[in-house]
Amino acid sequence: MLKLLKEIFRTGEATVKYPFAPMPVCKDFRGKPEHKAEDCIACAACTVACPANAIGMETDTAAGSRTWAINYGRCVFCGRCEESCPTGAIRLSDDFELAVGSKADLTRKAVFTLADCACCGKPFAPAKEVDYVARLLSQSARSAEEADRLRLTVSTCPACKRAQDVHQIAGMGIALQMEAGKPVKELETTP
Amino acid sequence: MNVPVDPKTLVAEMSPVSTSEQIASMKKALLKTIQRSAYVYRVDCGGCNGCEIEIFSSITPVFDAERFGIKVVASPRHADILLFTGAVTRSMRMPALRAFEAAPDPKIVVSYGACGCTGGIFHDLYCVWGGTDNIVPVDVYIPGCPPTPAATIHGFAVALGLLEQKLKAETHVELAGEAAALPHPDIPYALRVRLEREARRMAGYRQGRDIAEEFMALLEGRAHTPGSFTLLECMMEAIAEERDPRRAEIIGRLAEVVQQAIRGEAP
Repeated sequence: MLKLLKEIFRTGEATVKYPFAPMPVCKDFRGKPEHKAEDCIACAACTVACPANAIGMETDTAAGSRTWAINYGRCVFCGRCEESCPTGAIRLSDDFELAVGSKADLTRKAVFTLADCACCGKPFAPAKEVDYVARLLSQSARSAEEADRLRLTVSTCPACKRAQDVHQIAGMGIALQMEAGKPVKELETTP
Repeated sequence: MNVPVDPKTLVAEMSPVSTSEQIASMKKALLKTIQRSAYVYRVDCGGCNGCEIEIFSSITPVFDAERFGIKVVASPRHADILLFTGAVTRSMRMPALRAFEAAPDPKIVVSYGACGCTGGIFHDLYCVWGGTDNIVPVDVYIPGCPPTPAATIHGFAVALGLLEQKLKAETHVELAGEAAALPHPDIPYALRVRLEREARRMAGYRQGRDIAEEFMALLEGRAHTPGSFTLLECMMEAIAEERDPRRAEIIGRLAEVVQQAIRGEAP
């Protein structure tokens, strides 16, 4: 009996104090994915990576907006969104207290505006993404002219780029030049 | 001949069980005046058993849900709380409904785990109903894959009205002039990509990104401090300060990458 009591005192209390005291979690615990909408460029990398389709995006060209949404109820906390995020806007936090009474509280949304194409004026990509890529490219551009040209290229929609390329290739008159065998005049194509 | 079939016509839409107003008011009274233990019956609706393991670990002495009077019972006829786990497979729908009918009113229904809440990763599988709330009315959702024992206890506390829920639906609307910050503008983009790729190759995406961020902050910090340090000396100092040999190795490798980039060698 005394031996048992001694053993009990030696062992102490095994039960954690949670929920009366905060629960310490280990480093790199995979909790609720925290989305910093300020850093997000709405590139949809996380949407493609998410295996459970917890993250989704809807593009509304009429309203010129793209809505990013996460459903914490469907999330399996795999961290693929964090892995694929180019700006580090989404990161798995150590928050695990996700229980809710209504299902609507499990979703979080972020609405982004779409940028219009510099050529045709139709919305084609999120404005923040276009802006981010343009700044990133002009950072490594060799001259101011090149930076301007890259910025214009980035803010042109794929359909317009294709049309421009076709136009330029037609302007080169390939068949004619092949016959003449002359060197082709250098043209500025979209990179 | 081959007319495209609308998949919606192939799926039976069954109305979920609804509760009367009388039962709803009884449930409120139960939550307010419950003076005894809350008995929990687990209904496994075709889960992977990960959730069951976490439920059992939350009734172990370490988490000890029984100190709040939460007790797991073997029959739905004894239960106050029904805990539905799993994505509700077609064959488990009837047993789940029978367990729901067998439990005496008023009862609290808790949807447990990502599968129970919305169907989780199985939400669009052909053989599942995709979530408990498609067959029975749910009071509390506990997401997680699986929820940790601490999250389970928090969920029970929310179900019994002891704690407030933390999560709220939020919508962020892009502000005018909002722009994502360009990380490390002083470091050339090509070098940044090489550093991050090497760190992630060696330490994985999470720690790799953290180490690369730390390294680039170090690189930028040293570039701005005046002094006669060469890059190599700075890196050697950083490595000497590092106490974790694995991290020291990765930082050493990143320093090599910087040296390579300076010499103009291909990666």
